[in-house]
Amino acid sequence: MSALARPAYRAVVVGGGVLGLYTAVHLARAGAGPILVLERGFLSSGASGRNGGGVRQQWETRATVRLARESVAAYRRFGAEFGYNVWFRQSGYLFLAETDTELARLRAVHDLVVSEGLPSRVLDASGVARLVEGIAPDAVVGGTYLATDGTLYPFPAVWGLYEAARALGVEVALGVEALGVEVEAGRVVAVTTSAGRVETPTVVNAAGGWSAEFSRRAGLSVPNVATRHEILATEPLKPFLDPMVVRASDGLYFSQTMRGELVGGIAPRDVAGVDRGLPSSPRFLGEMSRALVRLVPRLGPVGVLRAWSGFYDDTPDGFPVLGTDPRCAGFVHANGFGGHGFMLAPAASLRVARAAMGEATDLDPGTFSPARFLARDRPTSVERLQLG
Amino acid sequence: MARAPERPILFDRTPLAVGPQETLLHALGRRGWPAVQRSIRYHRPRGPFCGVGYCTGCLVRVNGRPNVRACRYEPSPGDVVTTENSWPSPRFDLLGALDYLFPRGIDTLHGFRRPAWATRAYHRIVRRLAGFGAAPDGPGAPAAPPLRRTVDVAIVGAGPAGRAVAACLANAGVRPLVIDRQLHPPPVPGTDLLGRTTVTFLPPPGASGDARFALLGFEEPARGVEVRARSVVVASGGYDASLFFGGNDRPGVVTADGAFALLDANERLPFGRAVVVGGGDRVDTVLERFGDAVAAVVAPGGIEPSVVRRASDQGIPLYPRSLVLRADGRSRVRSLTLRPRGGGPRFSLPCDAVVLAHRRLPTPQLFFQAGARMEWRAGSGAYHPVLSDAAETTVPGLFAVGAAAGMLPGQDAAVGERVVARIQRGATADPAPLPRVPAEGPAELEGYYRELLLEPRSGRWVACPCEDVLISEVEEAHQRGYRGIEVIKRYTGLGTGLCQGRYCLPDALLVLSLLEERPPPEVGYITQRPPVVPTPLAAFAALTDPSAVAEGT
Repeated sequence: MSALARPAYRAVVVGGGVLGLYTAVHLARAGAGPILVLERGFLSSGASGRNGGGVRQQWETRATVRLARESVAAYRRFGAEFGYNVWFRQSGYLFLAETDTELARLRAVHDLVVSEGLPSRVLDASGVARLVEGIAPDAVVGGTYLATDGTLYPFPAVWGLYEAARALGVEVALGVEALGVEVEAGRVVAVTTSAGRVETPTVVNAAGGWSAEFSRRAGLSVPNVATRHEILATEPLKPFLDPMVVRASDGLYFSQTMRGELVGGIAPRDVAGVDRGLPSSPRFLGEMSRALVRLVPRLGPVGVLRAWSGFYDDTPDGFPVLGTDPRCAGFVHANGFGGHGFMLAPAASLRVARAAMGEATDLDPGTFSPARFLARDRPTSVERLQLG
Repeated sequence: MARAPERPILFDRTPLAVGPQETLLHALGRRGWPAVQRSIRYHRPRGPFCGVGYCTGCLVRVNGRPNVRACRYEPSPGDVVTTENSWPSPRFDLLGALDYLFPRGIDTLHGFRRPAWATRAYHRIVRRLAGFGAAPDGPGAPAAPPLRRTVDVAIVGAGPAGRAVAACLANAGVRPLVIDRQLHPPPVPGTDLLGRTTVTFLPPPGASGDARFALLGFEEPARGVEVRARSVVVASGGYDASLFFGGNDRPGVVTADGAFALLDANERLPFGRAVVVGGGDRVDTVLERFGDAVAAVVAPGGIEPSVVRRASDQGIPLYPRSLVLRADGRSRVRSLTLRPRGGGPRFSLPCDAVVLAHRRLPTPQLFFQAGARMEWRAGSGAYHPVLSDAAETTVPGLFAVGAAAGMLPGQDAAVGERVVARIQRGATADPAPLPRVPAEGPAELEGYYRELLLEPRSGRWVACPCEDVLISEVEEAHQRGYRGIEVIKRYTGLGTGLCQGRYCLPDALLVLSLLEERPPPEVGYITQRPPVVPTPLAAFAALTDPSAVAEGT
């Protein structure tokens, strides 16, 4: 692998996905000094290139709703800001309820979202049927719909951030792996990489599914767990479905992309551990196909074009981990997004960059700080809307 | 000659007679060159190209089901077939204006960003261009219950190599299951044969903990198939490659496979003056089958003596070592412009078809999906599995024979013996190296593309016909600093369409290897994601539905 340009950096960002690149851009814009981003694979080889492109603001907790709302605004201006069109199409997220209990739960989300000034609507079964042409009769009792949620095309976001970072002088090292962190007297002093050792007072762990492993290499135990999530895309069809559809009961989700493909997955997240690789499973293909065809029977003849999988980086309470680790000065977490990193990246990375520069952030420490897992009182707030 | 009754169907509201065991493409070809599709982004006229059910050239809607390939569909009486993705018709499509309005291409990555207030309108317009067919009208007829089989040996592919292994197994008293994509594969003695069936390794061997291989797939149109086998012999063969040149997507430009798919039962073709591209065995076969419809043979490299002999017998002019620069014509190719390699003036050959028979590519999907170690072999300019002397891949129990394995032709029986010896006795009698295409040396077509890329270009050079990605977009991605086929694929969309990259990625790999100045294996593997061909949701759904268990016999 190519050698790194400098012996020392102001900050080393581990992970060249949307989180890491966004963080690097924020750092460079703030004039932090020389920044290095380490990406062990190729650009978009991780979850940033494997996700379904959903961006939603419907969450069970106010803190997440606010991060999401800010991220929606950022993706709306992404094209103007970074020169790449991410095709952020605000056609809404439609959550489906099969029972009154589920609808009550969605209604609570709706109330919260509305109190944050977002135009959420509660729909009855016929309202849902108008948004999902061909939905099986009696499949749902109703749902909630937020028209300003949407979907985007993930790859161009990676290209735009990569080029912006480089234009700002950030060094993005592709195919270079972060091997470990040197800590002296409770402070980060250097990062060892597959291309040599570099000195730095700050390391940002934006390694997605590999974040727990990297934290452990720095001697920090974390509760993050990597879980494999599978996804499929069908052959392209003329546009017939506008919103991202998510079913509350089993986490079935699907949307039709700008390219016409139906892209979706289903909740069961099994097989923990990044060492298990990323094969597709017949179980997923079967469950996903069956769920989709039962909900929208007319999709039966549609061909599955490809299936793939990626890693979620899950935390016990469903919130990401953002900010400096209290056990190690200069070790900044930007992980634990549980499959929602892409949609929260713009707002989350801004706070991460501030933390990396030693500045205070406006994040609720009880919700997002890495310290919450160390506290005697375990976190009480939990974000359970871990769907779609 | 006694003929079975023809099947009357409706094609775009006009009656069409289809003969017995005849595909829709055959029937359409009798009326002239089938113009049934338009390209996805520029709405360029398209027609049949690959003939083997991969490309997007012959997609039609059948009884409310979209994206049915005419080359793979045998109509039933009363079928209603309509063309899609054009208005008012594929021959005259108003959106075809896009091709003229955007001579430099539509840049969806950087364009459509300003003014911001127009974003919604842009989204609507660009979204309209997505997809070939509209969503299905309904769920369609319920498929038969899935077919489940457990066997000792499964052979994928009923071509010569697969048949040779089957024959050796039959001699050894083993009755294998042979799985083949063809609609009517000829029977293989001593075996059970599953036709019109495509399977994928799911889960990959080793992932399930089962000692047996699991193959999941479907029998066309939508019946789920699940096969478990102790050993699998992959004889998936190969297919005729595409070639990059200006207007390489014009109707009339077909692969040799595509031309054979158009030949009807009476050996008639919807063309009479074809230029055949290539100089090897495949051209020999083409000249043998329809030499009287061939006007010239043009080869990127040299021409084999056997082809020279046959062509001179038939009075067909030869143009060895030629750069193919441009196909002209609008709704049908009219001429092909060439230049001798190494210098010389350009000239044009009038023609009504261009038949690509220059390169036969292996079908490697199953090896990739099984997790077998692959190696680049320059002799075919493609990836093949690493093999033991018994033709066993690095996945124990998975064997590779024939073209997919990179075996030289004419060796099928000898290789079959070795495979069967290994399966039966765990040993091979013959430790000699396998007869395979060379691993080392310059890649086929490497020098050709080096020279071609320096030529001034005109017309659209379509690298990826499924997604209408141009060569210039690949070059732009390179200029912006993106490296490796995996990144270029995601940047441009090349190879993400319905053919799953079969007709663009192999040549794109060669072009990128030249641009990046490193050998193709360093430019990257091409990730082969399951399934092998688009598989109906209904088939996958039925396979795992506990209420639809049916054991095959």
